[in-house]
Amino acid sequence: MGQIAWTNEMKDALTKAAAEKKPILLDFFSPA
Amino acid sequence: MDAVTYPDDKVIDFINSNLIPLRVKSDMPLAKEFNITWTPTLITLDQQGKEHYRSVGFLSPAELIPSLLLGMAKVYFDTGVLDQCLGTLEKIVSGHPKSKAAPEAVFLRGVAGYKNTHDPKPLKAAYEKLQADYPGSEWADRAQPYRLL
Repeated sequence: MGQIAWTNEMKDALTKAAAEKKPILLDFFSPA
Repeated sequence: MDAVTYPDDKVIDFINSNLIPLRVKSDMPLAKEFNITWTPTLITLDQQGKEHYRSVGFLSPAELIPSLLLGMAKVYFDTGVLDQCLGTLEKIVSGHPKSKAAPEAVFLRGVAGYKNTHDPKPLKAAYEKLQADYPGSEWADRAQPYRLL
């Protein structure tokens, strides 16, 4: 089974979003 | 979300195929920029990082996917990519008709259809579908003026 390919940096997400022409899903979560 | 929704195979496939997933702890500075007061908060951003949709609280796998589709549709709507908006909304209406996102998707499909064609028929069709399929929803109420078209 795979997993979600999360990135943790907004800069990386913006770069990928522009390259892949996709929206960004930003998930704010509480540290365990 | 970590125990139930994110391990779901359909969720994994959907997110990895359609979105750039970014995960940030709620005690990081970015959380303040986005006025985060509760978790989980899921926000859909466009390619420039501008917010178009957010949901707060747990979502099951069956509800998360249509909620994410609605967020994507709002990005396309707000940025004027109406064909892609309509296609994304159709996936909610046809593929997830019992989801909580469906009534809003029907409403937005009517609005996007009108904006795309300048023909009021999609607005009237949205009103009629909301009355028929989602009569108790807030979106049925919001579409009331379109009955006169």
